[in-house]
Amino acid sequence: MIMFNYIASFFLIALGFYCIITKYNLVKTVIGLSIADYGVNLLIISVGYCEGGTAPIFTAGELTAASTFVDPIPQALTLTSIVIGACVTAMSLSLVMKLHESYGTLDTREIRRLRG
Amino acid sequence: MSFFDYHHFPIYSIMVLFLGAFLIVMFGKNKAVRNTIAFLAVSASLACMIALVKPVMLNGEIIAYWMGNRVPAGGYAIGIALEVDQLSLFFGLLIATAVFVSGVYSLQYMDRDDNVPQYYTLFLMLAGGVIGLVLSGDIFNMFIMVEILTFAAVALTAFRNKVYGALEAAFKYLVVGCIGSTCILTGIIMLYAQAHTLNFAQLAALIPGNMNNATKLAFALLYIGFSTKAFIVPFHPLAADAHGAAPASISVLISGVLTKSGIYGIIRLTYMLFQTMNLGSFQFLLVFVGSVSMFVCVTMALAQHDFKRLLAFHSISQIGYVLTAVGLCTGLGISAGLYHAMNHTLFKGLLFLAAGAVLHETGTTNLDELGGLSKKMPWTTALFLVGAFSISGLPPFNGFASKWMVYQATYQKAAETGNIGFLLVTIVALITSVLTLASFVKVSQSVFFGRLPAKYENVHEVKPGMIIAMSIFAILCVLTGLFPGFVTKNLTEPAANAVFSAVRYIDAMMGSGYAGSVMGDNLPVVSTVSFTQVGYWAPVSWLLILCIGLLAVTIAAVLGKYDRVSEARPENVDPKYDLFWGGEASEFSQVGGGDLFWGFKHNWRHYFGFMHDLHSGVVNDYSLWAIVALSLAVVFITIVL
Repeated sequence: MIMFNYIASFFLIALGFYCIITKYNLVKTVIGLSIADYGVNLLIISVGYCEGGTAPIFTAGELTAASTFVDPIPQALTLTSIVIGACVTAMSLSLVMKLHESYGTLDTREIRRLRG
Repeated sequence: MSFFDYHHFPIYSIMVLFLGAFLIVMFGKNKAVRNTIAFLAVSASLACMIALVKPVMLNGEIIAYWMGNRVPAGGYAIGIALEVDQLSLFFGLLIATAVFVSGVYSLQYMDRDDNVPQYYTLFLMLAGGVIGLVLSGDIFNMFIMVEILTFAAVALTAFRNKVYGALEAAFKYLVVGCIGSTCILTGIIMLYAQAHTLNFAQLAALIPGNMNNATKLAFALLYIGFSTKAFIVPFHPLAADAHGAAPASISVLISGVLTKSGIYGIIRLTYMLFQTMNLGSFQFLLVFVGSVSMFVCVTMALAQHDFKRLLAFHSISQIGYVLTAVGLCTGLGISAGLYHAMNHTLFKGLLFLAAGAVLHETGTTNLDELGGLSKKMPWTTALFLVGAFSISGLPPFNGFASKWMVYQATYQKAAETGNIGFLLVTIVALITSVLTLASFVKVSQSVFFGRLPAKYENVHEVKPGMIIAMSIFAILCVLTGLFPGFVTKNLTEPAANAVFSAVRYIDAMMGSGYAGSVMGDNLPVVSTVSFTQVGYWAPVSWLLILCIGLLAVTIAAVLGKYDRVSEARPENVDPKYDLFWGGEASEFSQVGGGDLFWGFKHNWRHYFGFMHDLHSGVVNDYSLWAIVALSLAVVFITIVL
């Protein structure tokens, strides 16, 4: 079950990278970045998963040796990663807007003034 | 502990920068307030770093600082930590110095831009991110800092969004930078899944003895992630694009500071976290990548027509020296690498600031349009020449001292291992140095000497604040060149020792004896680093020779009569044997900056044409290079480990 998560997350990362490499539209490049980011988020959450675990919220005295709960640290990391992903998307889309204003196109093959 | 105990200084030096960024957002409308806050923040950060020199660098203490005093419990690090050893402090000092000078310079450099409060906010966040990265003892915190500095750098690259290509450069940097950041995060998570900790020291104790396929993949991902931050091959086009568009004060940070954070990451990764540098294959990897970086980038620089873009390629070329020297895994090699890293920050900062001064006064950095500025901007010219001599490795400036050590280290490695390959590296390094000199002859000829174009008649010298900032770098360039023994003894040798003492690093963080109890037989042997073969040169005598030479030239120039009439051709001599200067006789013809080495370029035209086509400027291609590099790294690491 959890193996499927790992396969799916690496598939998503690879798909995102594939999208960045092969798509010539700037918006699709940004979508590729996001997909790769979702893949990483899925990976982080899967790492903390524990079979039959509950939410890691316990009050004093409730915690016994028999209680199983999922690892809370990856969840905190995922939140951070989601926030960063949102920033990446926002910033790259604003750059795309400005690029469209000044170049009049979204084709990466035409946005290459700096080369050589 | 009182507030002024030096154990608190690492967190202060990070905090003041972020606090300054916050305060400028709040109260930055007024120019005086804004400049005061920015100046105070960068000076306080530098002061904290300097105050740490005595306990950490000289007394050899390693500061482990647990946020909120959450010390490890039951052998597990549960808090977030800062850890400052000599290596961290060495990079921290470099970065704080570059940030300080760049901050002072921007006070007057940015006076013609709008939205200056946003500039300072991003500037301080970039600085805080880099200092946070090198002082952090927690691998996830390192990732956060990497993200902060990448974002700030991208935003600052696009800051002058009317500049030719600024938006484009920022977008490319963002895409490839994000691929790098994704790699770093994935690598961190895979390490966490194996070791269930994010603390750097604890990971360094747990991982090396328990390598499996997952940790190997993590290693490859982290290596590529930090490579994108250091801009080594194949990520060098991004640096060139970003430098050309960013304001000069930011170019100083991108070249002097961001690349150092990448190098720092690679050193920590290979020497501490995975402890693989005793393997010949890993030495080969770093030395090979470093040599390729230094050669490819210096030839790319020769073909450039833009001042700052040319400097950017040289910057990565010098980073190649650093990586090569660090990859040798000898005491002399690491000491040389760190020394060159320091010198790179100083002379590259100076050169970028000089380019910024030219841009500030003339409005262009195109080498074909500029010329003859030495008459109008004497101070800038003199300071630029100090930087150019330093980067080309002319004695007695600092570039010579560190490059000499790099040559010596590669040669020594070749002699020790009997491997002819390291000798080739020495030769590549020498050729690169010569090409660097050639390229700077071209720059100084086409920007500062020759004829002044008519449209720059009204150009004047930059304001004193900018000259002071450049002078700080220039003075440091000369001082570190004149006293190499002092610098290596007090700065680079302690840092090089810290690179080899992973056990001390782990024990300082996790409690003494932790490394021994966890790693058992895998405990790395703490090799006492020998610096016996270091042959220092005598800079003072070289300085005297240079002074005498300069004096002779000056006297000849002042006393010697230059009689124009005597050059008039006698009537009966055939003019076809005259020297050809190009153009009509009456018309002055300056050989264009791009044409100074046209013969050399003509012979190499196929190579230059190939490289020009390769750097196509399409973001898909650069992303493809990143993914190919990642795949190669995965294959390489899986095979050799």
